[in-house]
Amino acid sequence: MSKTSETQQTNPLREGLATRTVPQACTVVIFGATGDLTMRKLIPALYNIAADGELPPALTVVGFARRPKTDEQFRKEQEEATRKFSRQTVRDEIWDGFAQSLFYHQSEFHDASGYKSLVERLEKIDKERGTGGNRLFYLAVAPDQFEPILKNLKEAGLNKAGEGSWARVIVEKPFGTDLDSAKELNRIVRQAFSEDQTYRIDHFLGKETAQNILVLRFANAIFEPIWNGRYVDHIQITAAETLGVEGRAGYYEGAGALRDMVQNHLLQLLCLVAMEPPTDLGADSIRGEKVKIVKSLRRMTHEEIAENVVRGQYAEGAINGKDVPGYRSEKGVKPDSKTETFVALRVRVDDWRLADVPIYIRVGKRLPKSGTEISVHFKKAPPVLFNKESVSLDQNVLVIRIQPDEGISLRMQAKMPGTTFRIEPVKMDFHYGTSFGKASPEAYERLLLDAMSGDATLFARRDEVEEAWAFIDPIEEAWVAKENQPGLFEYPAGSWGPEEADELLARDGRAWRRL
Amino acid sequence: MTMTMTTTDTPSLQHSISPGLPVEIGKIDRELKKLWAESGSAMTRASLMNLAVYSEAPGSLPRNTEIIFKITEDHACRAIVIGANPGAKENRVEAWISAHCHVSRAGGKQICSEQLSFLLEGPSARLLPNIVFSHLDSDLPLCLWWQGEFHEPMDPQLWAWVDRVIYDSQTWSDFRTQMQRVETAQADAKQRIVLCDLNWTRLVQFRLGLAQFFDHPASHQDLEEIESVEIDFAPGYRSTALLLAGWLAAQLHWTLEKSSKDAALAFRDRAEKAIRVSLTEKVGEPISRCAVKCGSTAFHVAHSANADLLDVSVEGSNSERKCLMPAGSNDPVRLMSEELMRGGPHRVYLRAMSCVRDLL
Repeated sequence: MSKTSETQQTNPLREGLATRTVPQACTVVIFGATGDLTMRKLIPALYNIAADGELPPALTVVGFARRPKTDEQFRKEQEEATRKFSRQTVRDEIWDGFAQSLFYHQSEFHDASGYKSLVERLEKIDKERGTGGNRLFYLAVAPDQFEPILKNLKEAGLNKAGEGSWARVIVEKPFGTDLDSAKELNRIVRQAFSEDQTYRIDHFLGKETAQNILVLRFANAIFEPIWNGRYVDHIQITAAETLGVEGRAGYYEGAGALRDMVQNHLLQLLCLVAMEPPTDLGADSIRGEKVKIVKSLRRMTHEEIAENVVRGQYAEGAINGKDVPGYRSEKGVKPDSKTETFVALRVRVDDWRLADVPIYIRVGKRLPKSGTEISVHFKKAPPVLFNKESVSLDQNVLVIRIQPDEGISLRMQAKMPGTTFRIEPVKMDFHYGTSFGKASPEAYERLLLDAMSGDATLFARRDEVEEAWAFIDPIEEAWVAKENQPGLFEYPAGSWGPEEADELLARDGRAWRRL
Repeated sequence: MTMTMTTTDTPSLQHSISPGLPVEIGKIDRELKKLWAESGSAMTRASLMNLAVYSEAPGSLPRNTEIIFKITEDHACRAIVIGANPGAKENRVEAWISAHCHVSRAGGKQICSEQLSFLLEGPSARLLPNIVFSHLDSDLPLCLWWQGEFHEPMDPQLWAWVDRVIYDSQTWSDFRTQMQRVETAQADAKQRIVLCDLNWTRLVQFRLGLAQFFDHPASHQDLEEIESVEIDFAPGYRSTALLLAGWLAAQLHWTLEKSSKDAALAFRDRAEKAIRVSLTEKVGEPISRCAVKCGSTAFHVAHSANADLLDVSVEGSNSERKCLMPAGSNDPVRLMSEELMRGGPHRVYLRAMSCVRDLL
């Protein structure tokens, strides 16, 4: 998505072949190489890129973790995981070649000697495999491990690249639990890597439809003129899932829906839907416009939070016809837990475009169906001709489906066939899966390629993350305040959340969109 | 009325594919509506473009129907397949309609593309533009896949409507005459028609394999130091090898020497250094190997024993490494899918072709 890279400009043989920036040969060092993320997402993503012929042949992966293991054992484990989790069937001949680029480096994260030997190993790899001194460090570990890893990388000199080479770091979410911790993490990262070396990953932005929001808005001249408070009545963003905590209670108890989903994924979607057109497709142009939106989010007082934010927790109920337990009965959850599994918010963006356009966000676990969607609800036609008080027409609604069944639909009014003037809403529907036979790459594939290419467009910038926390923190604080604490409302699993969430919109004369 | 249906889960049908249900030409729209009305809600019609296919080869209709069936798996379209025999004495016009359905990636729903097929024999072959115009899916681009040779006169009416014309120059007996016709028609059309040569598409994976060697800034110097190139091509694919050589020449600013002969081409780079490109005919894939030598380093791209992969390797004083990359295949379905997926204006093709035009 970024401007043409230096690589494309200077390799004349790439002209006409690449429509994206070309990834450069490098060594990817994965911290937490035996963890779930590496097995389920990272190595399968790298394999898929290799199978599609888009991985630089010299690319090398060094898994860095505590457990003693040989290269061969590491390769074997990764092969088993990739066969299980890869989106493409693993082909032996491609895997065999790919596996030769996988190495394992055993060390404790805080052990400086492990990093010294890593330097030697990386230099050897550069010589033998032609990785050109380029290094991509992937922190697939819990945030409390960032500091020792980054400190040791710096002390070993691995944060700096030689001339003509680069060193970058990818940081996984959660990026902090509040503004202070995010600032602290940023400080830790900044001590070793500068902002332009840092790639904070939010896999939502790697999804095809998230990227398509910009195309929909800025490549189609019909939408931009009406994408403002004069024509838009309100916007809804929904992220619903049928799943419960699914073994993540340890993490989820400390996070909750607001931190887990709203602070990162949903605010990112909000930015894409509300931002102004960037001056170009460069990473900083796009991210600069997104930051303006996060900064423009109207901060709420304690009283306003009680009025504009609803939190809920699922009680026992049924999903897809099967009984499921309530949140507090889930393994690892405290019986008196106050962690929210549902949040609904009414937010305002104080900018010229969307001033007076409320944006409703809801996210929840154990809802009747799974789906992430953005819907833009346009104002009704004037109350003349067809839109009279006696037969009020529905609004036009533009829906952007992020997952599953990615696509876009537009609801409009049409005359029913017959001699009378009966008007009914109809839906024009575009499905990615129907129109384009080719499967989209996984979000991690796209994001890894971008990081190797030096394209930070789809990664969160430091100020984006901190501004998002600055908006979220007062809500979290209100929820733990000793006085006038907003309630935590129960909802049965399999319902669309607590009634209070419906009332949030009903007070404005609106209702949640039916998914 | 029954719907002629081919599905991905009945591969055995592929060999008995027929153009579909016979219909009167004037009733095609009505019959199509009926076809969809009867199909039920489990099927969705999809179309991203009009793909007109024209062939004068005997038996082309069933063959092209099979190709369209496979192409529509990745590229939803309205296909207008025309089998013509202008030399026939008897005048004959026949039409069929059918739908190619594939189960969507998400499962469940069948995604269907329409195919309209026409057999035009004798004087009715001149109806081609009319047939195409009256059955286009409105507002969608028109790709015309012309199989075989172009004849004079080229119909300006038809060309004015085409967005992309797809041909395979490898099948042409006289490249210069054919290309002249295409370019004249393109100029007369007074609109931007993209020329898409499947012989160029055939080279995509080889070009990717070669290009990736020079992505790292440190390797850019190697491009200036190329001394020789070796290309192995299959019988009948010399034009493909010439296009590959033309691509290197165009992108690296080499000039073709007049002394170039059949087996070895002589180029000069910007520094007037001589570069020899040798072409060797070998049974196998259209292009089975390309080796680029720069001093002590040799870059190789070659079809592996498993023909759908390329062995990509570097040998030299500094490092030796190799890997596998997708090779694609030479079948028309893969070439068309690749071409439709990549799109683009093909400026590089035009430059590559210009470099070796006199040799094609």
